[in-house]
Amino acid sequence: MNEIIIAILRSGTPLIYVTLAGVIAQRAGVWNLGLEGLMIIGACATIVGIMLTNSILAAILIAIVICVLASILLWFVIDRLKANPIIAGLGLTGLGIGGTALAVQSIFGSQASVTAPFGIPKLGPAFGAYGVLSISVAAMPFVVFGMWVLLRRTRFGLRLAACGEHPFAARSVGANPSRMRLVALSIGGVLCAIGGAELAAGSLQFFAQGMTAGRGFMAFAAVIFGASHPVGATFAALFFAVVGALGIRAQLMFGDKIPHDLLQALPYLATVFGVWLSGKLRGGTKAASSFAELKDQ
Amino acid sequence: MSNPPKPALECRDVTVKFGDVTALSDVAVSFAPGQIHAVVGQNGAGKTTFARVAAGLVQPTAGAVDVMGEEIRTGHVSQSRAAGVELVHQSFALPPSFTVAETMEFGATGKGGIYSRKSLAEKWQSHLAGLDVQVDLNRRIRDLPIETQQGIEIARALVMDARVLILDEPTAVLSPSSIDMLFARVRRLKERGVTVILILHKIREVLGIADTVTVLRGGRKVEGPLPIAEVSAERLANLIVGDAIAKTLDRHERDALVGTKSPVGEGAGHLENAKGPSVLSMKAVSTRPDSEGTALDSVDLDIRPGEIVGIAGVEGNGQKTLVRAISALADLASGSIRLAGNDVTGEPLAARRAIGLRIIPFERNVEGLSLTSSLWQNWSARELLQGRLLRLIRPSAVREACDRSLKDWSVHYHNSAQKAGSLSGGNAQKVILAREVDREARLIIAAQPTRGLDIGATAFVWQALRQARDRGAAILLISSDLDELFDISDRVVVMLSGQVNGEFRAPFDIASVGAAMTDAAARTSA
Ligand SMILES: Nc1ncnc2c1ncn2[C@@H]1O[C@H](COP(=O)(O)OP(=O)(O)OP(=O)(O)O)[C@@H](O)[C@H]1O
Ligand SMILES: [Mg+2]
Repeated sequence: MNEIIIAILRSGTPLIYVTLAGVIAQRAGVWNLGLEGLMIIGACATIVGIMLTNSILAAILIAIVICVLASILLWFVIDRLKANPIIAGLGLTGLGIGGTALAVQSIFGSQASVTAPFGIPKLGPAFGAYGVLSISVAAMPFVVFGMWVLLRRTRFGLRLAACGEHPFAARSVGANPSRMRLVALSIGGVLCAIGGAELAAGSLQFFAQGMTAGRGFMAFAAVIFGASHPVGATFAALFFAVVGALGIRAQLMFGDKIPHDLLQALPYLATVFGVWLSGKLRGGTKAASSFAELKDQ
Repeated sequence: MSNPPKPALECRDVTVKFGDVTALSDVAVSFAPGQIHAVVGQNGAGKTTFARVAAGLVQPTAGAVDVMGEEIRTGHVSQSRAAGVELVHQSFALPPSFTVAETMEFGATGKGGIYSRKSLAEKWQSHLAGLDVQVDLNRRIRDLPIETQQGIEIARALVMDARVLILDEPTAVLSPSSIDMLFARVRRLKERGVTVILILHKIREVLGIADTVTVLRGGRKVEGPLPIAEVSAERLANLIVGDAIAKTLDRHERDALVGTKSPVGEGAGHLENAKGPSVLSMKAVSTRPDSEGTALDSVDLDIRPGEIVGIAGVEGNGQKTLVRAISALADLASGSIRLAGNDVTGEPLAARRAIGLRIIPFERNVEGLSLTSSLWQNWSARELLQGRLLRLIRPSAVREACDRSLKDWSVHYHNSAQKAGSLSGGNAQKVILAREVDREARLIIAAQPTRGLDIGATAFVWQALRQARDRGAAILLISSDLDELFDISDRVVVMLSGQVNGEFRAPFDIASVGAAMTDAAARTSA
């Protein structure tokens, strides 16, 4: 049993951090499809940072700075250059996947993957079987709680949500939707960096090209599934992690009877199912528009 | 007192340009404190723009704004709010998913901190109670009726110590009884020392509540603030539309516009025109209950060509469902609907439109127009949707036809490629009219067609509906304004709780129509 929980937490934690980044962007009114790119940038920067500085703290700080800068770039393209946010996000994802591959090759020669000498510190034997988990796994519930308070229990959270839902209403009380989006995307950059770091240096200690393998998109699906509520989306991400872990289990047990590819596809199938279900439960969204809103642009 | 008190709000030569459209030019006006001021003007006169400049939402091209004698930085909402200026929007600006308490909190300034649901509700309970807004603070905005939303928007505007409250066309969305409640609320605010600026269209309302009136036309100030005692309804009407147009109105229209009629409506009384088989014939129509409104309960309704039938009723008594049932957007539980002799009970909207059904919908911003599409795209939607799917269209020809049609309807617009969302409220309504009132129309459903229209445009819409009637179209008019119903309907049908609760013919007696609107026992037929 412990093993399964450990497996779920290991695969679920990076996903949850990135999901929270998606939640805060979504609430501010940005469909952030750059999550995949930000996550892989975070993963790559952490490993490269460890190799260059020999310090995990410095490595994560580097990852955070780079991810925040990438997020600001995304904001600039969407908000200032008025690009389509979906296309801009996908562009950032492409940039992240290609850029990290290029970076690894130019720094370390033609290697497909880079292994670091150490990763994020573990909880240690005091936690028994769970001691193998990294401290960022342990921090995750607190971060989720903190995000819930910030988004659902403060005036900042209300204004952020108003900026996403009805920018004109937000402007009418003196909020600046454009600045709010910048803040939301920057906080998302920090979370994506931590998510990427946990993916590459939490239980593993290496970076491989394309190692996020669609997790950023899965996180985005969790945002939709969880109705962009921080806790709801966390559970959605956890659900995807559970399906993934069960898939691996099933592979070990019935690998000879059920096609291997089908089991590997389980988390992705669960994602599609989850998005379909959330649409079903909440019904279609009604077009909400008003002159006031439109004149605002 | 040698020197007069400083004006609560003063605009000094304010000019606003949106591209090459001048929305306001050199407007200089000052409002005395502690009074109720009305601002009137035609659609597109610049009333909303003036209000937004004062609230800091629009940066004027030139000019300055003073509040209580102090100049404020223009174009910054936070500056205007800090000076005490608050604006309640024409179409409300409240995030629909927020609860009432959240709505109050998000607009507040000063100490915030972490709240709980309970503490938040407690915090705002007394504020709302003090303003006489009765509402559960944990309900969501989208679930609340429009009057309550307005009360909340006003309460939202008053969370800080507002000294100047601007209400942009607050009466346009309200039923007559809610308007009385709103005015009572406004008078109480005046007693508390708040300066209230009301943007209004109806002269009767101006004369009923305001202390002064200011008239805008074409972005310029024509007159004002004039003390209300010095203006007559006649003079105000002339100031608003301009003398040239005022001469073209006939006595009937003028009376209805000014709203100074006897309580017994004369009615149009053109029933002799109505002949031939019914265009619309509904037999015992009941709809399945749904979340969108009161269901219909065995409604019988017949409208013949050349007849305007008005639907009276307190809002929310099935009028919307009636429109949805006729336009195939509500599920029928029983009964049948015939359009121009064809049984259309199971037919979709497209088939009904092909027969000649036209709809001027309740919610022009959502159901009537695509705000992000151009005017010519909006205008041509009817024809394009009715034709074959694969058909070549020549945009330049469509645009020309659109220009011609919009000119006929005297829509004020820049060019037909501009987005529908950039029109003023009244002009947007005219685009829908230009599209829906055509020569092939057999049955026109006009739901609140003059809501938010200025008096000139209102007269224009009435004329258009009358002309369509005289061409032999049947018209179903739904309005919460009894003056309007009585003035142009040939017959008035009252709805109550999804049922037809009485039918009246001209001359209409306001007392018995009113009784039928509120009391099921008063089921009468005059
Ligand atoms: N954001 C904008 N972009 C372009 N034109 C605009 C914009 N806002 C307003 N206008 C134009 O400025 C003029 C004044 O508009 P405004 O909304 O102030 O009129 P209004 O008096 O409030 O009219 P209504 O009674 O119809 O609400 C109109 O011609 C309108 O089309
Ligand atoms: Mg207006």
